[in-house]
Amino acid sequence: MQELIAQIINGLSLGSIYVLLVTGFNLLLLVAMIIHFSYPQVVVFSMYIIWSVLQLTGNNLVLGIAAGVASSVVLNLVSAPLFQKVMSKRGEVDINATMVLSMGIGMIITDVLSHSFNEGLPVAFPDSLSSFAPIVRLGLISVQVGQVWSLGVGIVVVSAIFLILYKTRAGRAFRAIAEDPEGARLVGIPILRTGLYSYGLSGLLGGIIAVLLAMLLGSASPGLGEQVAHKVLAVSIIAGLGNLAGGLVVGLLLGILEAIVQGYISGSWSNAIAFIVMLVVILAKPKGLFGTRL
Amino acid sequence: MPLELYYFLSITAVNILLSWALYLPYRVAHLHFITVANMAISGYAAAWLVMALHVPFGCALLVGFALGGIIGFVVSLFIGDAPTFAVVIVGFTFIFISRTVIENLKAIGGAMGMFGLPNIGGNPDTHRLIIMVTLAALLLIVGFLLHRFEHSSLGRAASAVFMDKDLAASLGVDIRRLGMLLQTVSCTIAGGTGVLYGFIYKSLHLDFFTFALVGIAMTIIFVGGYATQWGAVVLAPILYGVPLLFPPAVQEWRIVIYGAALVLVLVLKPEGFITRRFVVSMESFLSGTRKKRNTLSREEI
Amino acid sequence: MKKALGALIVAALILAVVGCQQPAPKEWDIPFLNSLTGQIASIGAYLEWGADQAAKEINAAGGISGKPVKIIPVDTALDPQKGSTEMARLVKNTLVALGPVPEPVIMAAMPIAVENGMPSITATTSLEYAQKFFPWTISWFPSTQDRLAPLVTAWAKQFSDLKKVVQFVENYGPWPGMADAHTAGLTAAGVRVLDPVEVPSDAVTFAPLVVKALNEKPDGFVFVCKPGSAAKLIKELKSRGWKKMDHLLLFSSADAPDLYATGGTDLNGAEIYNYINPGIDNPRWDGFKKAYADSHNGEQPPSLSTNYYDAVYMIKDAIEKTGVTGLSGKLKAERKLIADYLQNVKGFHGIMFDWDMKDGIPTNKPTYIFKIQDGQKVLVQEVKQ
Repeated sequence: MQELIAQIINGLSLGSIYVLLVTGFNLLLLVAMIIHFSYPQVVVFSMYIIWSVLQLTGNNLVLGIAAGVASSVVLNLVSAPLFQKVMSKRGEVDINATMVLSMGIGMIITDVLSHSFNEGLPVAFPDSLSSFAPIVRLGLISVQVGQVWSLGVGIVVVSAIFLILYKTRAGRAFRAIAEDPEGARLVGIPILRTGLYSYGLSGLLGGIIAVLLAMLLGSASPGLGEQVAHKVLAVSIIAGLGNLAGGLVVGLLLGILEAIVQGYISGSWSNAIAFIVMLVVILAKPKGLFGTRL
Repeated sequence: MPLELYYFLSITAVNILLSWALYLPYRVAHLHFITVANMAISGYAAAWLVMALHVPFGCALLVGFALGGIIGFVVSLFIGDAPTFAVVIVGFTFIFISRTVIENLKAIGGAMGMFGLPNIGGNPDTHRLIIMVTLAALLLIVGFLLHRFEHSSLGRAASAVFMDKDLAASLGVDIRRLGMLLQTVSCTIAGGTGVLYGFIYKSLHLDFFTFALVGIAMTIIFVGGYATQWGAVVLAPILYGVPLLFPPAVQEWRIVIYGAALVLVLVLKPEGFITRRFVVSMESFLSGTRKKRNTLSREEI
Repeated sequence: MKKALGALIVAALILAVVGCQQPAPKEWDIPFLNSLTGQIASIGAYLEWGADQAAKEINAAGGISGKPVKIIPVDTALDPQKGSTEMARLVKNTLVALGPVPEPVIMAAMPIAVENGMPSITATTSLEYAQKFFPWTISWFPSTQDRLAPLVTAWAKQFSDLKKVVQFVENYGPWPGMADAHTAGLTAAGVRVLDPVEVPSDAVTFAPLVVKALNEKPDGFVFVCKPGSAAKLIKELKSRGWKKMDHLLLFSSADAPDLYATGGTDLNGAEIYNYINPGIDNPRWDGFKKAYADSHNGEQPPSLSTNYYDAVYMIKDAIEKTGVTGLSGKLKAERKLIADYLQNVKGFHGIMFDWDMKDGIPTNKPTYIFKIQDGQKVLVQEVKQ
């Protein structure tokens, strides 16, 4: 029983990574109608910026976090016009062109990280940001600070994004531009400014995710983004594209499933089994478990 | 033929075939990544047949095609008319499953891989000749079939499905059957390609069939031109060959250059280099030239 | 008339033969098929550095048979497609090559070298891979079973309270075979080897694996996985109260900069085995360390950095001792000479120790067990085969 509880907690921790990344992924879907397959690579880039600034400033957390958030915002704003240009039909998700474009961006990011930061080696964050020391430990059961933060903030962030997008004027404006730019212009929504705000919001979220992942994982490597990108896309599809609450639930469930498989069956089968379960779900419910929100 | 030219041509041929295998289901907006898993499964199966059971290469190749086709057909029963995203998940799932099964099967080398696939025909020169001839034949056959498909009612139906699924259905297109057909043929092509891929290297390793291969094929299709089969033919040799010519200092940044080129092309020419309009105009030009020649000959008479 | 024609033909033939004989090369070009871009670019960089350092020293001492040596980097980018095409290009005129790195590229490219009779030293892979391509390569390591079982036995015998061990094993290349050799060694030491815990190659968090392992209540662990994964597993173990750090043994492939970059001081006390002893006191090694530190912000050279350094010196010995000329007309014969020499080298002076090769397999390389302390390895014991 103790092992089961420990694995569920581990699963929630792993799931919180997926939740955070899927939330950012879904946000870009909702405000810009793009499939940013390499969104995890963008987040990892921000993690590296945090690390670099921490190195330069003697582990000044405030500056490091600010730099990470700023870099994510800048990267989103810089890539925004590229995505807008390739979308053939505005108002519809163009998986193909945007996915391939984001793959190109991901390739550049991963290779730059392999060349230009810490000689391509993984980077480890200081204990002041990331500590594996548990706040609660009972036998096999252990809860760490990073796990509490990432799960807690993950839930708060999903709720906050949901409120912004569906309950505020600004959020409605973001979604209007994404779904029908001409219609949005006709009703007087300033396209450029609102579009910048929407990309900025997703950049801000990306920076927050980078900080939380640094706390949770304690380190980052150039290939980290690629390792999770397929699962992030899969979680979004299974939950229902653009479904924030669905992404939260499915992300956590996937984490728990992986933890249970690794704990009780086999580590090398965890990916295959996770995807088989997702496959069965998608065949039964092609629009996702909770339906799309686009 | 110089050896490096043999490898360049044969690997380019494989990349073209894999791109065509992805292109075909994409005509109905399906990103059918299962093709990479098909390559791995058929490649390993054929290699095992040749090495363990001494089955002739030709038979093993046919088995590879058949295995790919069977897997493609069975899977298509479930996803023939599924949304694009479901098809993507199926592809990912099969890639993970195939990798996990192969790495745990000691009979086919497991995580170590398979070594020492024999020369077809008994010596390296004959082996290379057979591989090149087979690849050339496959390119011609598949290219011809694709060309006929494009100019048939099936091709027009696929275009209709790509543009508007509901409208296509209302016009009487059997979306499910069409999807099943394209997926099955796609997996068949991929299966045979996987066998040839293994025999080009005369060894097999799991890392020959990764998501990176999916990335290569996707890039070839989308940068080359996703609306026509000719994009793959043009871009595959360029994508593979040009980086080989970079000097060492530039090679170091090859992947950044490659990614930047990909982004630029997608931004400036979203349909890719070879568009449908370009192909149609080329075809008109060629048929116009033929008409003129025929007219002249009549006049001369 | 006929005589004049005959003389003309003979003269033309002589001219043709003389014209075809290329002059001897002015330098020895040794291509190195390496992963300089892609996921293991950081490893490729220091492997390249080691080879370049050897070339620099050799040239400073007069070169090979009086001619300078140049290492030509050939990036295979961890891509079998690129690796095979580059090898196909090289086999035309290359006398001897280094690499390829790593295993997928070896699998794609080495068959080409074998088919064309070109020796290429793969100094970072196991015997199980290398021997498939004998005699056109050599193994840098002895047989896994012969080498690892006594090593792990020696490690286990340090601890009287080590009764049960769990291995974390990643399913990559020869690693499962190495885990089997560990099992044999542990069993020989009277230790019960519990069910291994499989480490997925793309694992991001490791808590589920550690919980599974701890649930078996072992007294120690052996790590047979990527360096970064091993470091994270150890951090997770420590966070769950694991105290007996010396009851943790990392395998040699984990001894890479990734391990120390990720694990930091959390690794202190853990033990690791490898084939080179950085604490050795000899002028060549001291010079190597200093040169590496000077060009890498004071860092210590990673364990694999000497492999291709030694490989270049081995090629130097092969060329000089067999009288190889580098003439293109003698390429096939001279490649064979080099390959035969490499297969059975006697008393090769490596940077750290001397060793012999017998039929491509090293026979007397030492292995060491170290304790990790603040990113450095402190010798615990040397284990002879």
